[in-house]
Amino acid sequence: MFYQLINFGNEEFHAYPDKSLYWKRLNTLIVSDLHIGKSISYAKNKQFLPPYDTKEILKKIFVSLDKIKPSNLIIVGDLLHDVFSTLSLKDQDHRNLSQYMKNTDFIWIKGNHDENIQIEGFKNLTNFKIDKFLFTHIPIKTSLFQICGHYHPKVKISHRGKTIYKTSFVHNEKILILPSFGILTGGLDINSKEISDVLGKKNLSIYPVGQDKVYKL
Amino acid sequence: MNINKSNPLLLHPLNKWMKKKKWSWFPHQIETFHYVRTGSDVVVFAPTGAGKTLTGFINPIDDLIKLKKFKGLHTLYISPLKSLANDIVRNLEKPIKELDLNISFQVRTGDTTPYKKQKQKQKPPNILITTPESLALLNSYENAKEFFHNLKYIIIDEIHTFLDNKRADLLSLNIERLQTFSPNLQRIGLSATLKNKQDAKKWLCRKKPKIVSYENSVLPKIKILESKERIPWSGHMATYSINEIYKEIMKSKLTIIFVNTRAQAEYMFKNLWLINKKKLKIAVHHGSLEKNLRLKVENNLSKGLVDCVVATSSLELGLDYGDVEKIIQVGAPKGINRLLQRVGRSNHNLNTPSKAILVPTNRFEFIEAKAAIEEIKKNNLDKIDLKEGSFDVVAQHIFATACAGQFNINDLYKEIIKAYPYKKLKLNDFKQLINLIQDGGYVLKNYDQFKRIFQLRENKNIYKLVNKRETRKYRMNVGTIIENPMLKIKLGTKTLGNIEEVFIQNLSQGDSFIFAGRVLEFQSMKNNLVQVKRSKSLISKIPSYSGGRMPLSTNLANSVRALLAKSNMSDLYPEQITQWLKRQKYISKIPKKDEYLVEQFPRKKNFYTVIYTFAGWHANQTLGFLLLRGFKEFNYKPLGFVANDYAIVLWSLKEAKEIKTILNLGLLDKHLDNYLEETSIVKRLFRDNAIISCLIERRLPGMEKTGKQVLFSSDLIYTVLKKNEPDHILLKSSYEDAKKNMIDYDRLREILKKIDKKIILKKLTSISPLAVPIILEINRENLSKKETDEYILEDLENEILKEANVLSIN
Repeated sequence: MFYQLINFGNEEFHAYPDKSLYWKRLNTLIVSDLHIGKSISYAKNKQFLPPYDTKEILKKIFVSLDKIKPSNLIIVGDLLHDVFSTLSLKDQDHRNLSQYMKNTDFIWIKGNHDENIQIEGFKNLTNFKIDKFLFTHIPIKTSLFQICGHYHPKVKISHRGKTIYKTSFVHNEKILILPSFGILTGGLDINSKEISDVLGKKNLSIYPVGQDKVYKL
Repeated sequence: MNINKSNPLLLHPLNKWMKKKKWSWFPHQIETFHYVRTGSDVVVFAPTGAGKTLTGFINPIDDLIKLKKFKGLHTLYISPLKSLANDIVRNLEKPIKELDLNISFQVRTGDTTPYKKQKQKQKPPNILITTPESLALLNSYENAKEFFHNLKYIIIDEIHTFLDNKRADLLSLNIERLQTFSPNLQRIGLSATLKNKQDAKKWLCRKKPKIVSYENSVLPKIKILESKERIPWSGHMATYSINEIYKEIMKSKLTIIFVNTRAQAEYMFKNLWLINKKKLKIAVHHGSLEKNLRLKVENNLSKGLVDCVVATSSLELGLDYGDVEKIIQVGAPKGINRLLQRVGRSNHNLNTPSKAILVPTNRFEFIEAKAAIEEIKKNNLDKIDLKEGSFDVVAQHIFATACAGQFNINDLYKEIIKAYPYKKLKLNDFKQLINLIQDGGYVLKNYDQFKRIFQLRENKNIYKLVNKRETRKYRMNVGTIIENPMLKIKLGTKTLGNIEEVFIQNLSQGDSFIFAGRVLEFQSMKNNLVQVKRSKSLISKIPSYSGGRMPLSTNLANSVRALLAKSNMSDLYPEQITQWLKRQKYISKIPKKDEYLVEQFPRKKNFYTVIYTFAGWHANQTLGFLLLRGFKEFNYKPLGFVANDYAIVLWSLKEAKEIKTILNLGLLDKHLDNYLEETSIVKRLFRDNAIISCLIERRLPGMEKTGKQVLFSSDLIYTVLKKNEPDHILLKSSYEDAKKNMIDYDRLREILKKIDKKIILKKLTSISPLAVPIILEINRENLSKKETDEYILEDLENEILKEANVLSIN
């Protein structure tokens, strides 16, 4: 898998097309907004999305862990979609997770969707600090460099009379936002008020995620 | 039937009124009355102005008078349009009021207030005039059976508009439901003249089926605009003829100009205003305009307060605008039926011929217009192809059935397969659709605790809705019409209408475009509202509505081919067209009626292959994609293609020497699945399917989604489903829809079956005259929007004409 180099806070990160971010110096993999069990949580409102999202998300994360073998996995919030989501985790999934946790430290940051949910054997934190970097679901006021999720950024690209949207990594000088690692998760335009309030409109570095490659705008 | 005996209608309650009006009964009215009275289901074919509406009501009114003070619903009248429903009420009101008949009648559509709807349910009128969607809703209420159990007649107006789409499927299912409620129900269909009348009969009639037909002996007078200007090679805006069109408007009291797309309507309207020295009152009418603006135009039209209206198909149906003197059709007629429907909008009087002028916007369209006129003289109408019903509509119907109360799936299945579109519905597919409504119907049974409908323990064939709240979700999602994501346009605080989101996305602040006849400047988009202001600029983009592009009908395509093959060109066409074709004959060839001309020539380092299929835009588009794959396989390094109604052009780095080997049925069989997978056609149709089958919701109170977000999440669902459960019923349904509607599968198949024996291959040294129009389209499509200035096009055109060596001929 090809990665795209992102320089952020004087550190090198690798952005992968599976929407994960790798911090090589600390052998740490970072993902965000998996929204595991979104389908089952919709099903309780009788919106029957295909129930394959949890399976696919876990498969994706396991593939990535197998390949990169990181010492740490940081999930920057919204691992689960809501309290019903755990219903979509099968016993086998729990066993697999425990297996991977033997070699990799899982650091689960609370998101707005899963702050009150507990999974046995998992600890969740409000935020997590390494060196001058703060991992948090929604950015806070701080002088640290922040790596966050929550917004599911996507970028509008108009070219030759056609307009497309692509999910993206995006950062300004101090804040980097990851795209959602989920399967059935939508996106929010980088130009939307919500995202501009956080990142501003100028000097953004945008990395749209393609099929097999992360691009740089 | 011998109608010479005595006319039974002379004793009809309406006879007095007819006499007062000095009207006499039409033969088809007498015939219909007789057949319906003797227990037949009937389809009546008659032109506008032949008292069609009244024909439908003759038996119901007779029966109601005989029954004396009948309580409850007696007759249901289904209209394709809300506006038409209101018009029917006005027409029915006259005789009933004037004769003081004791018959109650009301209209019920999406516009009826909840209060009125509630009252209608408590105290139904004798005659209810409604739409297919409102009927579906009525059938979803718990008391539907009581409401309809005495129903005697159902009248389907303009049934020809209901025969080949999902609305027809929905209606057919609901008619069968009514028949179950009221086994004695009789069906009456009213239709414009059709070629395949038997098909309409099969679709509607069950009891002693009968066709009643009345043909108008007065043929319309249609001619092509005799232009002194040069008819352009390509393009669709008819700019060349604007002054001549204006003169035609001046000559008549009231003119409707029909165009094919909303963009053309805006463009034509603007151009007419620019030369409107006589200050004629000209208006514009299309489906995206705000309802009030449309109603105002319709009102002015019926009162004769305007001189001319530029319209799209929005003005095609129903309403009687008696004073319209002339129809001008700008652009290709596309089909005979459609042209006749439009032409019939003028002179709603049977004994005077309708008058129409056709304005071709380019040279191929000239031939098409000519062919259409020939076919109308021969009364050779287009066939409407009945299609097998779509799965998603059945799913919606199952949901509706559950809303009305618990149901037995075997009974439901038996009822559904009585409906003509679903005669061949397999039990297995039906069961999958039950599962789809129950819990999404996935192989992975994850949602046991969240079902929407469930089987009773004591009887596994009986299903029940899990709770009442679900009925509201059904009612928010009823219907089969899915609009593209649209945004409201606001000028100040005034709403002008709706515009496609895709169009707005391509605009930047300050860009101007035409809408509702005004040049507007895009300011901002907030909360799904597009804020605009008036622009002083004269240069503008045109709204590029995706709607309204329909393919050339097979029938008309055949006559275009036949006409083209005729050798007496100079008798048929003006000098400029004759010269064009003669030159073609000299340089290349004019294909015979059953031949497929293929031309190949080098141009600017690339090799071009032009195939004249006359297969219509959809089929040609599909063929283009397939050929692209075929070319790749043969390593011709294809670069692209463009298709229109008549031809396809592909260009490649290497010469496609084996074109004869590639172009056959194998191409379709080999590449179609791949093609459907790679393009977004099935994906787009999946969205419609997911919404119609109520898998995802259109909108819910309090959680208004923009269309864009719905599109986005349905794309994700499609991708996940495709990967994990490729046999899911909704994927199957979307695929079938694509084959039926989007890619003209059957038509393409027919052509490819015989094409390899009929190919005439011409290797040329440069472009042929016949190829010029489609080559011009390549450049049009490849130019960025800002460059599509007329001057640049002009320049480009000249360059290409020089190349084709045809500049000298005009």
